[in-house]
Amino acid sequence: MAFREYKIGCIMFGIALSTSMFVTIFLPGLDISRIGSTEEALKKQLTYGWESAFNYYDPFLLGKDKPIKVVLTKDPETGKPIDKTEAYVFTAGTHFPDGLTHDNIMGTKQLALSKSKGLLAQATEKRGGVFLVDVDVTTGVPYVEFATATKGWQVAATLKAADVRIHAGSGKTMFIREGCWWCHTLLPEETQDWQSFGRPPVTGDFNGESPTSFGSDRKGPDLLHVGSRNSSREWMTMHFFNPRLVQPHSIMPRFNYLWGKADINGKVIDRQKWDRDFMAYARGDTPYPPAVPIPARNSEARYIIDFVLNLK
Amino acid sequence: MSWVFSRPLYSLSSKDQNKEAQYIWEHESLGGIAENNNPLPRPVIGLLVLTFFTAMMLTMPLYGQRPTAAIFADYVTLMNSSSVQKVLDDKTLTHAESDAKAMKLITTSLEKFESPYNFQREQHHITMNQLRMVAPQIVELQRKGVDLEEYTIVGATVAKATFFSIQPDGTIINKQPWWDKGYTIAIWWFVIFAFSIIIAVKRLPHFTWAPDHTIAH
Amino acid sequence: MLKYLLAKEEDIPQGSAAIFFGVSSICWFIIGTGLGSFNASKLAFPDFFHNVYWLQFGHMRQVHVHAVIFGWIAMAFAMSMLYITPALGNTKLWSEKLAVWNCLLYNVGLCLALALLWSGMTSGREYSDHIWPIDLYIAFVMVVPWSLNVWMTILNRRTQGIYTTNWFFAASMFMLIIIFLIGNLPEFFHLTGLNEAYMTWWFAHNVLGLLITPVAAAITYYIVPKVTGNPLYSHRVGHLHFWAIVVFYSTPAAHHLMSSPLPEWLKSFASVEGVLILVPAIAYICNIMLTMQGKWTMFVTNIELKFALTGVFLAIPLNMQGGFQQTRAINWYIHGTGWIVAHAHLALLGFSTFAEASAVYYGMQVLLRRKLYSYSLANFHFFMLLIGFSLYWISMTIAGLIQGAAKIYEVPYLDVVIAEHPYMIVRWLGGTMVFLGNITWLWNMYMTARVGTVVPVGRLPHELAYER
Repeated sequence: MAFREYKIGCIMFGIALSTSMFVTIFLPGLDISRIGSTEEALKKQLTYGWESAFNYYDPFLLGKDKPIKVVLTKDPETGKPIDKTEAYVFTAGTHFPDGLTHDNIMGTKQLALSKSKGLLAQATEKRGGVFLVDVDVTTGVPYVEFATATKGWQVAATLKAADVRIHAGSGKTMFIREGCWWCHTLLPEETQDWQSFGRPPVTGDFNGESPTSFGSDRKGPDLLHVGSRNSSREWMTMHFFNPRLVQPHSIMPRFNYLWGKADINGKVIDRQKWDRDFMAYARGDTPYPPAVPIPARNSEARYIIDFVLNLK
Repeated sequence: MSWVFSRPLYSLSSKDQNKEAQYIWEHESLGGIAENNNPLPRPVIGLLVLTFFTAMMLTMPLYGQRPTAAIFADYVTLMNSSSVQKVLDDKTLTHAESDAKAMKLITTSLEKFESPYNFQREQHHITMNQLRMVAPQIVELQRKGVDLEEYTIVGATVAKATFFSIQPDGTIINKQPWWDKGYTIAIWWFVIFAFSIIIAVKRLPHFTWAPDHTIAH
Repeated sequence: MLKYLLAKEEDIPQGSAAIFFGVSSICWFIIGTGLGSFNASKLAFPDFFHNVYWLQFGHMRQVHVHAVIFGWIAMAFAMSMLYITPALGNTKLWSEKLAVWNCLLYNVGLCLALALLWSGMTSGREYSDHIWPIDLYIAFVMVVPWSLNVWMTILNRRTQGIYTTNWFFAASMFMLIIIFLIGNLPEFFHLTGLNEAYMTWWFAHNVLGLLITPVAAAITYYIVPKVTGNPLYSHRVGHLHFWAIVVFYSTPAAHHLMSSPLPEWLKSFASVEGVLILVPAIAYICNIMLTMQGKWTMFVTNIELKFALTGVFLAIPLNMQGGFQQTRAINWYIHGTGWIVAHAHLALLGFSTFAEASAVYYGMQVLLRRKLYSYSLANFHFFMLLIGFSLYWISMTIAGLIQGAAKIYEVPYLDVVIAEHPYMIVRWLGGTMVFLGNITWLWNMYMTARVGTVVPVGRLPHELAYER
């Protein structure tokens, strides 16, 4: 390049930038895409559905278009007792996660099993259905079972037979919308963190999840396995309503506005009065803090508590 | 764009090209700003070379990378040996003491043997507690007969390593080659950069020539 | 401003758009730092304003980030480019009218984008939080017209040469568009999993590394020679800086995810490239410092140089931190802690803000043809920024080291929160100082436009003595 030859400069610039993108996007993309889903990834996808952030079907992030995770102890079809089973209910029209619709995200072995043993090909978004995650005993490969086809479990019957409904999919939308991930990561680190925060994820654990919302800046503990450390729904409810109730030094914001207007019994929640009572307790005027209302069945508070408790 | 290779480290431009460049350099006013033609000071060149070597040394994949399960296979065997178990069962010691003593026993006995993993073992100390957690997983993998170098220890779990090396037959194994892919690309990346930037700079008029800024303004 | 939207190109005074961008950038700086200060207060005292739901931390944190990046930093860049690019090509701006429209649509788009983020409509991806329709708006309505003006002005220059500053301006705008369109592919095409996570950080790394760092550096490449009257120390070192930015800054995106299960070779590669970021940094800092030869007194006496050189000085710890904190050997200790927050503010509130402030101070005087109203107020602004930033940086660095230590010793997280409390208060104080300082800046600029001494034709503002 002689002095001020800009054409050559532009060509060099183009070569440098495209080589850089080839090395940093294309090559790792090949490696990452080669990894099939783990059992963890299949469960996560069936829990969280297609997309947890802004999307066409839930533009205001209200937790719509989400599957419901249920825990069953009896067969919804026959009513006979069965071993405790976690099933994922997609009501008609709920969009499937990418892992069910994109072969390479599911993984070759996983897909073959899901099709042969799980009858996955029969599932359609339009009709919805009930899914299970199984692991093949001989090979250890996880796969998705379409229980509506294999066992005849229908959506309505399954929801009715469920012991517990877990709205963790809608809860993840809350997690994104309320910015929980600005302070809590979902990524125990591989070096020191696992002693406190549990097993770090492995490569296939994220397949089909969007957004992954690892978070980057911790102002609170990592939450990837928080449901294993603390599985108390009462504690979580109090902590979300006012973290200072259970953790006097916590700097977490109060999320009492996620309760909506009324609690589970339809009783209107008076937050001003609750605050006054709480201040009286904090000053020592009353021996007990005011009771925290139990969130209504379809409240956003219920969603996020379900999500957090489901992070095993 | 003719190149002159007679004195490649002096200049890659012909005399005419230099003359033309010098004329433009001195006669045009870039909005009241001018540029000199100074070389990089020697100490700064030293600093850049130091930076390159630091980059290579500090990030050599051995440092801070998750250890492979293979380096702990012998630990697991020794942990289950009677002499180590005797230390672990010693009722006169506290748990912490017996753990430390048992681990010491394992490491000192392994030091006596020649092993390709000695260096990595020095890099990745493991506590008895962590060894207890990963031991059953390593034993299980050994039973399956897989290559332990394809697995890494991540916390309390033994996970498939995130290496992707393509074999001559096209299959991919999760084993780190002695030439780490990222590391090798990084070396070539720097070499090509240095080569190109030297060419670019050697095409400029030589630094012994100082532009006269009084001509333009 | 509105009257110029439909005016003929030749009726619009040269530099109008740059002035509009400059004033907008100062206003957004005040808004952005005000939000930052408010957010910081909530980290120190979480029940502050807890009953006002739309002031929730989780909704406002990203609004602060984007008000500062797209409002202050990017608009100050636009302002600088719109007056520096023509000046360096001995020509006028390609289209003043396009630039005026650009400024209007930029402000409208930014208000809309921030309002949506505030309401919680987000893509859930850090630094690319905007939903994809807004991403497209940013790329095609906010950035493309701006880039067109920069590129066309450079193409229509009346010199053979292109000065170093303009290489950076043109290249950065190009890279910004590419990064915006490629980095948001996960949103456009619903990419998922580890690919999505990695692309998020590919975007975040490159938007900072290939827009903010080089443009801020390019600004000082203009301000320092222009104000001191010294020629730039070396054209050839400029080459080294430029090419090293393109080659080494565009590659280490994976170092943001060192503790995630990305391919190990990618982490090794990113880690080496991350240290090599020191190559452009060393070239740049040496070039600017050597340009100052013989004129160091101006660092004290001249407000523009005071800002510009403080920015350059802050680039030294910035790059030392940035180069080494991402290696595996160190990253595990400080990853995800306040150290990183401090580092991000060192880049944006330290290095680039000081560089841009110098360009905005200088540009506003040149474009308004009025001498700065008050040197004392400007000095006050400078020290409010510097001390406020330093308090923030030091307190968050210490907080980060505490968090890092807590990782080793498996301290219950609540104890970390308690230990960090004093530093959170200092962070708030620092942020508030920056915010208050910026208000005095706006006042100073307003008074400059109203009553500043008129700069005679052919003279530069810094050559005139202050009257007050």
